[in-house]
Amino acid sequence: MTDEDPTGPEASAGETTRDGPVNGNEADGGTTDGEAPDGGTVTGEEIPVEGAVSDALTASTHPARSTVRHWLTTTNHKDVGILYIVTSLFFLLLGGVLAWLMRIQLWEPRAVGEGILGAMAYNQAVSAHGLVMVFWFLSPFAFGFANYVVPLQMGADDLAFPRLNALSFWLYLSSGLLFVASFFQGGTFAGGWTMYAPLNLPTFTPDVGANTAILALVLFVVSVTVSSVNFLTTMHRMRAEGLTLRRLPIFSWSILLTVWMMLFAFAALLAALLILSSDRILGTAYFVQETAGGTLLWTHLFWFFGHPEVYIVFFPALGIMAEVFQTFTGRRIVGRKWFIAAMVLVALQSFVVWMHHMFLTGINLEIKTLFMVTTIGISLPFDLMVFALIYTLVKGRVRFTTPFLFAFGGLVLFILGGITGVFLGAIVLDYEFRGTYWVVAHFHYVMVGGVTALVGGLYYWFPKITGRMYDEFLGKVHFAVYFVGFNLLYFPMFVAWETPRRVFQYDAWMAPWHKLATVGAFILGLSFVIMFYNLTKSAFDGERVGNTPWEFSRTAEWAVPSPPPTGNFPGVPSYSDGHLSFRSREATDGGTSAESRSTQADGGVAVDAYTDEHDHAEHGSVWPLAVSVGAFLLFLGLSGIREGSLVEGLAGAFYLSAAVVGGLLVLGSLVSWAIEPFDAPEGGFGEAWPFDGVENGKVGMWIFLASDVVLFGGFIGAYVFTRVAAGWVGWQPVPEDPVPGLVNTYLLLASSFTVVLALVAAQKEHRGGVVASLTATIVLGIGFLGNKAQEWQHLFHTGVEPTATIQTSTFFLTTGLHAAHVIAGLIGALYLLGRSLGGAYLTDHRPVEYFGLYWHFVDIVWLFLFPLFYIL
Amino acid sequence: MTHTKLYTAIFAVLFVSATLQVLVEFAGLAYWTAFGIIVALSAFKAVLVAAYFQHLRFEPRSLTYVVFIGLAAALALTLAASYSIL
Repeated sequence: MTDEDPTGPEASAGETTRDGPVNGNEADGGTTDGEAPDGGTVTGEEIPVEGAVSDALTASTHPARSTVRHWLTTTNHKDVGILYIVTSLFFLLLGGVLAWLMRIQLWEPRAVGEGILGAMAYNQAVSAHGLVMVFWFLSPFAFGFANYVVPLQMGADDLAFPRLNALSFWLYLSSGLLFVASFFQGGTFAGGWTMYAPLNLPTFTPDVGANTAILALVLFVVSVTVSSVNFLTTMHRMRAEGLTLRRLPIFSWSILLTVWMMLFAFAALLAALLILSSDRILGTAYFVQETAGGTLLWTHLFWFFGHPEVYIVFFPALGIMAEVFQTFTGRRIVGRKWFIAAMVLVALQSFVVWMHHMFLTGINLEIKTLFMVTTIGISLPFDLMVFALIYTLVKGRVRFTTPFLFAFGGLVLFILGGITGVFLGAIVLDYEFRGTYWVVAHFHYVMVGGVTALVGGLYYWFPKITGRMYDEFLGKVHFAVYFVGFNLLYFPMFVAWETPRRVFQYDAWMAPWHKLATVGAFILGLSFVIMFYNLTKSAFDGERVGNTPWEFSRTAEWAVPSPPPTGNFPGVPSYSDGHLSFRSREATDGGTSAESRSTQADGGVAVDAYTDEHDHAEHGSVWPLAVSVGAFLLFLGLSGIREGSLVEGLAGAFYLSAAVVGGLLVLGSLVSWAIEPFDAPEGGFGEAWPFDGVENGKVGMWIFLASDVVLFGGFIGAYVFTRVAAGWVGWQPVPEDPVPGLVNTYLLLASSFTVVLALVAAQKEHRGGVVASLTATIVLGIGFLGNKAQEWQHLFHTGVEPTATIQTSTFFLTTGLHAAHVIAGLIGALYLLGRSLGGAYLTDHRPVEYFGLYWHFVDIVWLFLFPLFYIL
Repeated sequence: MTHTKLYTAIFAVLFVSATLQVLVEFAGLAYWTAFGIIVALSAFKAVLVAAYFQHLRFEPRSLTYVVFIGLAAALALTLAASYSIL
């Protein structure tokens, strides 16, 4: 085997991907000089699959994909991946135009009222640019690739919960459109992307659009949480046989760690955003506090999310760099094991560095010093990764293709961005640099450096996704223009670092540098015209590619046709002999799960998706879309409420009806979703560490609950923090009488017990027992809510309102969040009861079990809320 | 049937310790002593519910660890943030 295997695309059509090892495709990127991967042509007919599978492989995708209906109802991970990529590029354009507006305004130092943007318009542009780019472009762009590539790399037919995956996308789109709508509601949020208190309150950002922007973020976080649960379940439970985590391709590794960080970090953001929404919509008093409990509380909650977020957006780029470097140097990444260990270390450390964003606040010096140490410490694993990447280039033989150039460019830019960040991690230097363009330049070198690698990823996987090759010359031109534009835009910001951030006034001597930056902004932005032209044109008449156009690609996505058929693989992928091979489906998983046909709210349990494709012409569902449309309306409606009262006049009526219609649509769609028969792929067919023997649904539920722990943790943390700020012991519980709380503890404990009895009855196939126990649960749950309503009523009558003080705000909001969980649980219990009347759950009691896990968790939360808010 | 008995016994223990928690409050102990006992009782009940009602005791330990990671994150946030303003 030599590097000079002449086998190029198309050269070996018709003799590849037999049911045996696919040449060169080792689990993790294999050996340095593995054989050239095969070519093969794009038409699926030569895939030698046995029996029933071949029809599904060849016929299923293409006819339907041209219809709008297909794209609205698809649940296939590859379709969802494409939807993510296309949508995120739209938000890149939106964020880019906002950036252009800013750069035009910054052409020269201006007084208020000069230039194309007014003062508030500029604030909106700055805030919206940051929010759109960070939330609606960067991560979703990366998750387009994750959706498309990760299941292929790990040998899964699809994600564990395909309908939840579609839901993630549609919620993402809904949230993005909601954000766009906020511009037309008097103006969007104008308080900066960090949304610092108290600027985030209606006193300072009074527009309805500001509410909408924050609610849009809430919806976005919901989408991210759904996606995290789905990816984690999939990646831990559905890897091909022999594909242990040690052998997992490096891009998949980067996504796995990204998703773990997402699960916990975004839960903290959700807590922050829900408290903020409550302050704005209900009028609670968290962030108006003038003690540390106000502004500092926000910064803690926000940056506990915000710093892991930096790595959440950067890790996929890192994974692409490593993947692309391997492919275009023909060499496995140097120190692969250490590279992965370094990523794991960063993912853990990312949760203990957040206070370096708060060096100029009133937190004490001891904690600042500690966080300086952790911050400098987190640069060490990054050093290791950077050197591993560089050494891979040294050891390999580089092929300067477009994906490589972008990945390499991304690395160079990241090095500069990373080093300038270390300056900011030092407390003393941060005193000087904070709030200047040094910060702006630094994080653009990091984040847009990441984007550079992601663009490389787009070129890299474009042939896989479209089955056609892009124009290499135009790709290189794009890189050249992009790289020049990038440095022209951001490097002058280091030079003109004394420019204050977020405003358009600066010392006149820096004007030439800002002019340069503005020119760079246009060059950078326009470079994408070349890309869009190239990719659009190539998608229709580019040269066809076979399985892979790259000589040294090794990961499994390149072992299947481009684009891959709906079911991905011609057999069950296995790495048991160290190479990728496909085993016959009938022999391995036919009929193993035939009895598990019942459906459930979380995406259903499944029989084998392949064999079923013959029964179900459509493998789609309209309900994810319907839920998202409903959520859009609901949140749009909620935006019309300010501190407890609806906006006046016709607009108020509009908002109210939107909320009602949206809420009903969400509820109805969820029920229809639960009833709809749907077959999701099952896990556990290969590697499932560390969740061997636990089915997908249960793993998903536990992962979701872990994120809910952080959500409640954020709320309880906010309470503890505020109370510490107020002096702990001087703070009296809001309800003077702990007895109603104690009664509720009894009720909830009893309802947990009845859920246990329901499960026992289901296991004994005792229908009456299931019905009776569920009924008792519902009665007890309603009793809990009724008792609480009475208690609150009493408090309101004695003048204790949620808006009165911070004490009452924390009491009502935290227990209110818990009550909302109880209500959601009751809706689930009602659904289970309805189905159990018809005799459901006797053969498959898993829905009852999963509901119980949730219900007991809500019980546990109350076990802590009760003493915290009633006794202590 | 033994399972049902076990669950019933646990329910009884939970019920009693919830009552105990309120009695501690009225026992006139020093604030931080009472605080310690009350929080310990909550933790005890939570562990019982998780171990038996959510049957984590009988599942692979990895599920428990996942929840502990979330708990660790929440505690890190709460404790470090509170310490930062002391």
